[in-house]
Amino acid sequence: MTKAIECINLVKQFGDFRAVDQINLQFEQGRISALLGPNGAGKTTTISMMLGMMRPTSGEVRVLGLPSGTKELRQRVGALMQDVRAADGLTVREVLQLFRSYYRNPMSLERLFDISGLHADAKRRASALSGGQRRRLAFAQSLAGNPELIVLDEPTVGMDVEARGRFWETIRALASDGRTVLLTTHYLEEADAVADHIAVIANGCVVAEGAPERLKAQAALRTVSFRSANAPKEHEWLQLPGVEKAECYGDRIRLHAHETDQLLFTLMQSNWGVTDIDVQSASLEDAFRSLTDTNRSTLTKNSLS
Amino acid sequence: MLQMFIAQTKAESLRIIRSPFFLLFSIAMPLGFYFLFTSLNGADKSIQSTTWGVFSLMSMTAFSLIGTAVSQFGIRLSFEHQDGWVRLLRLTPLTPAVWLGSKLVAQMVIQLIVISVIFLSAGLVHDIQLSGGQWISCGLWLWMGSLPFLALGALLGTLKNANTAIAIGNILQMGLAIMGGLWMPLSTLPQWMQSIGEWLPSHRYANGAWNMVAGNTPASMDFMILIGCGLGCMVLSVYIFNRREAV
Repeated sequence: MTKAIECINLVKQFGDFRAVDQINLQFEQGRISALLGPNGAGKTTTISMMLGMMRPTSGEVRVLGLPSGTKELRQRVGALMQDVRAADGLTVREVLQLFRSYYRNPMSLERLFDISGLHADAKRRASALSGGQRRRLAFAQSLAGNPELIVLDEPTVGMDVEARGRFWETIRALASDGRTVLLTTHYLEEADAVADHIAVIANGCVVAEGAPERLKAQAALRTVSFRSANAPKEHEWLQLPGVEKAECYGDRIRLHAHETDQLLFTLMQSNWGVTDIDVQSASLEDAFRSLTDTNRSTLTKNSLS
Repeated sequence: MLQMFIAQTKAESLRIIRSPFFLLFSIAMPLGFYFLFTSLNGADKSIQSTTWGVFSLMSMTAFSLIGTAVSQFGIRLSFEHQDGWVRLLRLTPLTPAVWLGSKLVAQMVIQLIVISVIFLSAGLVHDIQLSGGQWISCGLWLWMGSLPFLALGALLGTLKNANTAIAIGNILQMGLAIMGGLWMPLSTLPQWMQSIGEWLPSHRYANGAWNMVAGNTPASMDFMILIGCGLGCMVLSVYIFNRREAV
């Protein structure tokens, strides 16, 4: 079966800044996938290249087996981008009808109204809608062509908890028709709630990938934090058993490790003057933050090798 | 494809007609100035081998159509780029050719409506001494002559900042109208303004119609300046659009 989306050594360079750095990704058809990462990780840039709105500096994107940006794909792919204002002067119904006219095999107007929940607002001007309503209209516009593949860039930004729950239900219903959904988010909670497959990106690179359960297991590190009166060089912490990552805040050290029993034993036996030890299981959000965070002074095994 | 084109043209036309700026600046203001000028000067008073009622009718229709092309086409284009509407459309099967084509057709339909409304209002209020053939040929000249101003609008639409586009659009519209002799006849303006004005496309646009109401045909210079200005703006705006696409 052809992949829904395939990125091969994808790179996007803006001047000196490399927004996307050698990304290799594959998303299966008929599933909900999430591209998870903090703001500025390169999610929107990656999506833009998938949709053919931006040309890769090097590498390749194939969507539904075709090169991205081809005319045929625009018939089969629906996309919701961030920050698009509605056309002035048209009513909600007129906007939806207009978008339906672009496609060979449009979704029924009735279903678009059901999905957007804008039945009562059909005759209102699109520009007079509230922010949340406008977002739902934009979502319905992206579905006007009855797409096989739906790409959503930060779809739930600005939604309250209830609206978000309803939105996830809609996404699941759309996927159960056999459609492929790819969404970007910076909330693990969201990716975990809807996606079958998650790819985590940070600084333009894929840092982890897999089913939510696998990722959660992989990311479930414990942290050991303590003071050290006589600390060794920073990278020596990474030589300790099981340590994946070390953070130093003055004399306060925090180590992330899969297994802490052996580590504690080593610390107690050392001559580093270790005091004030605190062991914690990291929360999932913390684990992901530590996975994607590169602004703080941190050392990981990957960055050394 | 055809269905897409028709739907898009309909939508673009509706958007223009429903715009309050359109009603105000393309219909109300030119008509208001027309009736102001004809009552100040007397609609039957002669000027340039015709009467103020006819002379000013041609100028103010030209003024309205220039404004409609510059703001409803040009400024709107710039806004649609800035608001991400164009990016959104690029994700749909709507091709740029159909999109721009339907905008042009919608614009031309609207221009025809504007001409009809202004001609009809003037004809109902004043006793306009024009033959049926002259009404039609003047209408057609003003209609087709608005194309170069749509090209000027397209050039304005390449501006990335829509507020800059509004400012420049207003200056262009007013400047072209006043300097081109649409408000006061060119012959009553200072010499330095006359020497600039006679080269402006706005003057040539109205001049063609003035020639026709006087029983002549538009001067060859009218054709040359309008076509030259239209082609120049078109080539330049296409060049700018393409260069931006390539990035």
